[in-house]
Amino acid sequence: MPRRPFLSRPSAPTDRLRRRVAARSERLITTRNVRRTLVSLVGIVGTPVRNQTGEDVGRLVDVVARVHGDERYPPVTGLVVRVGRRRAFLDAGAIQTVDHGGVTLRTSRLDLRDFRRRPGEVMLARDLLDHQLVDVDGVQVIRAADLYLAPVGDRLRLVGVDVSVQSLLRRLGPKALRGRPTPDRVIDWDAVQPFGDQLTTGPATVKLRTANRGLPRLRPGELADLLEDLRRPARQELLAALEPEQAADALEEMEPEELQALLREVEPSQAASLIAAMESDEAVDALRDLSEKERSEVLEAMSPDRARDLSELLAYPEDAAGGFMSTTLVVASDDKTAGQARELLKEFVEHRTEIDAVVVVDADGRLLEDLALFELVIADEHSRLADLLAVGEHAEAETVGPEANVREVAARLIDSRRSSVLVVDEDGHPLGRILADDVVDALTPDRGRLHFPRLFK
Amino acid sequence: VSTTPPVTREDDRGPSPERPSRPRQLWGRLPGRRVLMYAAIAGPGVIAANAGNDAAGIATYASAGSQFVYRTLFFMVLVTIALVLVQEMSVRLGTFTGKGIAALIREQFSLRLTAVALFCVLLANTGLVVSEFAGIGAAFELVGVSRYAVIPVAAVAIWALVLFGSYRYAERIFLVLSLAFFAYPVAAILAHPHWGKVATDLALPHFSASSAFLLLGVALIGTTVSPYMQLYAAAGVVDRGIGPDEYPSARLDAISGAVFACVISMTIIIATGAVIGGHGPLQSAKQAAEALRPVAGSGAELLFAIGLLGASALAGAVVPLSSSYAISEAVGVERSVSRRFTEAPLFLGLFTFQLVLGAAVAMTPVNLIKLLIGTQVLQGIVTPVVLVYILILANRRDVLGAAANGPIRRVAATLVVFAISAMSLLLLGQTLLGLL
Repeated sequence: MPRRPFLSRPSAPTDRLRRRVAARSERLITTRNVRRTLVSLVGIVGTPVRNQTGEDVGRLVDVVARVHGDERYPPVTGLVVRVGRRRAFLDAGAIQTVDHGGVTLRTSRLDLRDFRRRPGEVMLARDLLDHQLVDVDGVQVIRAADLYLAPVGDRLRLVGVDVSVQSLLRRLGPKALRGRPTPDRVIDWDAVQPFGDQLTTGPATVKLRTANRGLPRLRPGELADLLEDLRRPARQELLAALEPEQAADALEEMEPEELQALLREVEPSQAASLIAAMESDEAVDALRDLSEKERSEVLEAMSPDRARDLSELLAYPEDAAGGFMSTTLVVASDDKTAGQARELLKEFVEHRTEIDAVVVVDADGRLLEDLALFELVIADEHSRLADLLAVGEHAEAETVGPEANVREVAARLIDSRRSSVLVVDEDGHPLGRILADDVVDALTPDRGRLHFPRLFK
Repeated sequence: VSTTPPVTREDDRGPSPERPSRPRQLWGRLPGRRVLMYAAIAGPGVIAANAGNDAAGIATYASAGSQFVYRTLFFMVLVTIALVLVQEMSVRLGTFTGKGIAALIREQFSLRLTAVALFCVLLANTGLVVSEFAGIGAAFELVGVSRYAVIPVAAVAIWALVLFGSYRYAERIFLVLSLAFFAYPVAAILAHPHWGKVATDLALPHFSASSAFLLLGVALIGTTVSPYMQLYAAAGVVDRGIGPDEYPSARLDAISGAVFACVISMTIIIATGAVIGGHGPLQSAKQAAEALRPVAGSGAELLFAIGLLGASALAGAVVPLSSSYAISEAVGVERSVSRRFTEAPLFLGLFTFQLVLGAAVAMTPVNLIKLLIGTQVLQGIVTPVVLVYILILANRRDVLGAAANGPIRRVAATLVVFAISAMSLLLLGQTLLGLL
């Protein structure tokens, strides 16, 4: 509940007190009302199912809801009830009320069928409760301690996931307390990402891809955190649900060991397409961490061009400029016009973060100048690049050889005050670019120190 | 295996066209520490072997040798089979589900049963922490430093090391120190044991109904098949991203690790039995160090102390970490475990609690060796409970699919768990009757 801004005058303490009391009682009433309308899944599982006349007909085993559907809050589609020794399915239409005392049915006649999962349906207690879910709003992996149902519109729906430790303790406690909702840390179901993999019976007909409302909103770093925190089945499903580009961005943000483990889990072909979609320097880092055999498997599954590029980069030592440069370069010969160069840039939209200049080369492909984007933008559309260079109002290209180490590169960047330096070979052919952030990465000492030591390495 | 030491890369420079043509760079890009790490920790196998070699393990094996000479060897053969079966199941659970054992228990059992399992893990591991601190104390007492001075310092040091320091480096130092115990196989040969007797005791069962033998038997189970090893084995394969494809090599690693651990344990029994066998129960660490005299002569005590310190300090950090991790995983806050400590109050609390309790109990003025064996008896009683969970999980087809235990493995594993449980219950019953 939003707290009111603190506006009170210091001279009116009673006023403040009154307001606080009012806010408190309002909160209590809300909590009580919420608690009354919410039905705790833990509380109703195992309770008796009665018919209209109040006769016990069986015990509730599980609640079935269409989780992988179009609706924001999954509707309850039926109940799994144990009648005698038999487990049967009861359609939601037969339910009169559901509360902590148990389930009351609309009719006295029971129409029992064997349970068969229909598309999108999930058994809540068995497949969601106590399993890993993703909270897309809070960007975290959670384990459901309880699920809350509430009547929304005409149907009973799954509305929230309880993740508090308090709920765990309540479930350990006496039976009377078990079903009492403790809605202190509840996550709105709308923000929760379930995994189809948790359906252990029958084929999961609706996969995550259709239900990934929240995923596209997440930033690469947040996705990386989620990928690190999930266990393998859910992790692979999340990965499969992402667009290759989005997945590659997330992988670039992962801790090296986690990335290594993840690449081992997936098929070489999938690993290859993920690595191919990563920025070259990150891709090379990822490849370096794999074993020789795994690396050649992954490279073989890649397109020959990309594999050759990456292999060349792999040949440089990890700590030399050639080893951490990015090979994405926008190269234009000096007879092109500024307009043509700008056209060229459009092909590199997906690399926008690693391009801060256009490499101008002569007819033999030797570096002439590293023309900053700003210069290119203010230039007249029809003026040739050679003419722009001749004016000489721009900074000189900063270059290093592929064998230069991190400190040399850093010194260059500091001297020139540019955001990147070019890597050129002995003949002056441009090989790649090193951005300032790559240098920061390379210079930052062992990031692991700030982190929890990995237990089982 | 994914854990193939990169050292071999030098050899397999095959005809692959992408291969860089400069071999020196292959070495250059391998930081020395990584080579050391791979060499030191090849797989969960070596770690399992090391787990058997911790303070309590040494005390128990040495006590077995001193009290019953070679007569517990046949029992150790059975324990080896049990360990192989159990470790294989744990690794299988890890590879095929991609989840740790605690997570699986939470997902597959009711919350109350999960709480029971985790309580047992916590109990067993806290017992183990006690024994590790006792081991550190014993190691320093051998070189004349009072344990009352050392144990608090060690507790704070381990705590700070895991929280703020470079735990990974420390882990490797401890591991190298504990390699001193590899002197035991040599000692076993140099001590000229009666090999004929060793062979018959290995092959023929010897059971005596005396409570001392039973007690030691349960302690041997407890120290060899401890719950933390199963959690560790499963988490190890999950953490390395080992999937069903690599299961055969993961299984090989688990089995060879288990066999190796037990072979080392047996050499400890043989070495101790040959040197001080028949002297009755082991009284002090000094006495246990005697077994290394054939190797190290007058340096035996120092060698023993170094090994004991390394093994105890390593396990003293790893064991509380693994139980805290298991509980966090089951509660569902493992996220914070891989993040910073300030975000993980539950984890931090459990870790601190176990260290404090362990150190405090280890400081009580009792006979160290008795304390060590006592903690192993506790382990032996708790272990069957955790094994039952693992057995049920490994039997379930909806957890492992086609990789679930088949009929033969199911019978064998059930027998093992049943036998271990029966021993523990027998001991429990005898202890309770003795109290009356």
